[in-house]
Amino acid sequence: MINTMDYCNIVFDSLENGTMIVDENCTVWAWNKWLEINTAITSEHIIGKNLEDFYPEIDYKGFKRKIRTTLRLNSPTFYDASLSNRFITVPRNKITTSLLTTMQLQVTISPYIPEVKRVMVSIQDISDLHELKLTLQQRMKEIASLNSELRQDKQIIDANLMIVKTDCGCMILEVTDAFSSFFGYNEAELRGAFLSSIYVTDTMETELLQMKETLQKKQKWSGEVQVVTKEGETVWMDAVISPYLDEQDDITSYTAIYHDITDKKRIELLSVTDPLTKLYNRQKFNDVFDVMLMRRHWKEGNSFGLILMDVDHFKKVNDTYGHQKGDAVLIAVSDILAQTVRTGDVLARWGGEEFVVLLPDVDSEKAAYVAEKLRRAVEGTSISEVGAVTASFGVTVYAEGDTQESMMHRSDGALYRAKEKGRNRIESLLV
Amino acid sequence: MQIDEFSEDHLDVLKELMNIAMGNATASIADLLQAFGTMHIPHLAISDMDGLKAYMEKTIPSDEKYYVTKQLFGGMFGGEFIFVMTDESAVNLGHYLYDVTAPSDADIMDAVIELTNILSSTILSRLSEELNTKVQFFVPSTELMSGNELIGHDETLNYHRIIIISTLMEFQSHKISGHIFILTKDKMIESLSRLIDQKLEELYA
Repeated sequence: MINTMDYCNIVFDSLENGTMIVDENCTVWAWNKWLEINTAITSEHIIGKNLEDFYPEIDYKGFKRKIRTTLRLNSPTFYDASLSNRFITVPRNKITTSLLTTMQLQVTISPYIPEVKRVMVSIQDISDLHELKLTLQQRMKEIASLNSELRQDKQIIDANLMIVKTDCGCMILEVTDAFSSFFGYNEAELRGAFLSSIYVTDTMETELLQMKETLQKKQKWSGEVQVVTKEGETVWMDAVISPYLDEQDDITSYTAIYHDITDKKRIELLSVTDPLTKLYNRQKFNDVFDVMLMRRHWKEGNSFGLILMDVDHFKKVNDTYGHQKGDAVLIAVSDILAQTVRTGDVLARWGGEEFVVLLPDVDSEKAAYVAEKLRRAVEGTSISEVGAVTASFGVTVYAEGDTQESMMHRSDGALYRAKEKGRNRIESLLV
Repeated sequence: MQIDEFSEDHLDVLKELMNIAMGNATASIADLLQAFGTMHIPHLAISDMDGLKAYMEKTIPSDEKYYVTKQLFGGMFGGEFIFVMTDESAVNLGHYLYDVTAPSDADIMDAVIELTNILSSTILSRLSEELNTKVQFFVPSTELMSGNELIGHDETLNYHRIIIISTLMEFQSHKISGHIFILTKDKMIESLSRLIDQKLEELYA
């Protein structure tokens, strides 16, 4: 027959936590099965003895004070469970992680029989929870460290890279400090403005169109663009613009990264420019000529033409007015030629007083017409001290199988003929 | 009963009961820790979450570090007991209770928990006793945090209507002080109101 006390013991031993009864002197009065199993100390061995004999490392001054508080207030007291254990040490058998080798315990001291100064100490294993907390703390530390690195990187990017983020309609959302300071705006002035407002649109029409088409295809665009600062300064930029797509493959925003290449462009320009007239030099002209020849779509009625032009009696100008005046004549002639050629024509100084013009999309008639227009423009220009000068023009158009040499040879022949026939005229020589 | 029916009279009764409970706490601390402290007159207010935040910000400067112990208590009168100590006070408490010159973090944490235990047990047990009800204490937790971390976003969701009971506890000779906050909310306010009504009936019967 099981009596009430036996039932109490069964309950006591069935608890899934460690439970002991101690008095205010730390003498053990009960020790449940959980404690027996996990501490390897049997109840027979410990009951009636002092806990200090088994666990001398515990701070008994604090423990006894807690017992006294529990009894005095008739209310539970607790040990802090957030740091290392301050009560008994219970080994932990977890093998797959090594964060905790002993159990992290939640210790509660509850009043048991206050009249005989006994309390119940219950020990809850909160190791898994504590392990999670430690892991979380570790991760938080790592995140904090990564965030700090990211912040540093962002600061470096912000200060040194010109980056703009826009919405899908190219309205500016964010800019880096480097961008706003380069352009001379503050961030508030730029936010809400359209990115296109920084581009020089009149000379960049083709590039901007290409950019628009590429981006509309949801592709990255890169190229060189001319932009204008708040002060009105025109600057060359190397630009990379990337669209960002959402899960539905729709564009949500664009990020544009710019790099100032003005100096590079200046050097590039110097290498292809004739220093006196500022027109393209012979090298650049040859390159463009090559590209023109490589286009295979030229046919009769839609070919390209070549004009070779020579200032008449230039030697006489030099001899009469000096080389400085001669240079002024070349500059003036260059200017009038540059103003008169069509958009898309390529004008260059060939050497000395000779100039060349490539005319895309012309037939022989149109090429002759352009040459005549140039002749009249030169003839109609009065140059200080020198007066009016004239020029002779040799014209040819591309025919199948032509090379640079063959076309130059023909235009040279035509020019020779124009000179022969009295100068200040145009002559054409076709295949 | 509507929450709004928690009247000024209810607050006055609660304030009186708090005075009794605080006297009890002071006596218990003197007895158990041999420390003689004082408690300031409690401040009681019915507030919403924004009001609580504003009150906390006013009472606890956000730029300092604090040992914050939070303990839940349950029953007809349930809620959250918060004890906030400055870093310096907590170190002094650790030094005092553990009798060491430089208490370890564990000493400090444990000392803060111990003092909170005594404060929450005495104040809330006495309050419950006066209101003829029982209280259940849950395991407290202590954390070192800055003032602006006292109330988190999740707590904003939980507390819609709050009674704030707060007081300052000081042991001047040991340079230890701490703020006590007792917060209770919505349904608990209703049952607290009922308990106070019963108490009033009992007093005037």
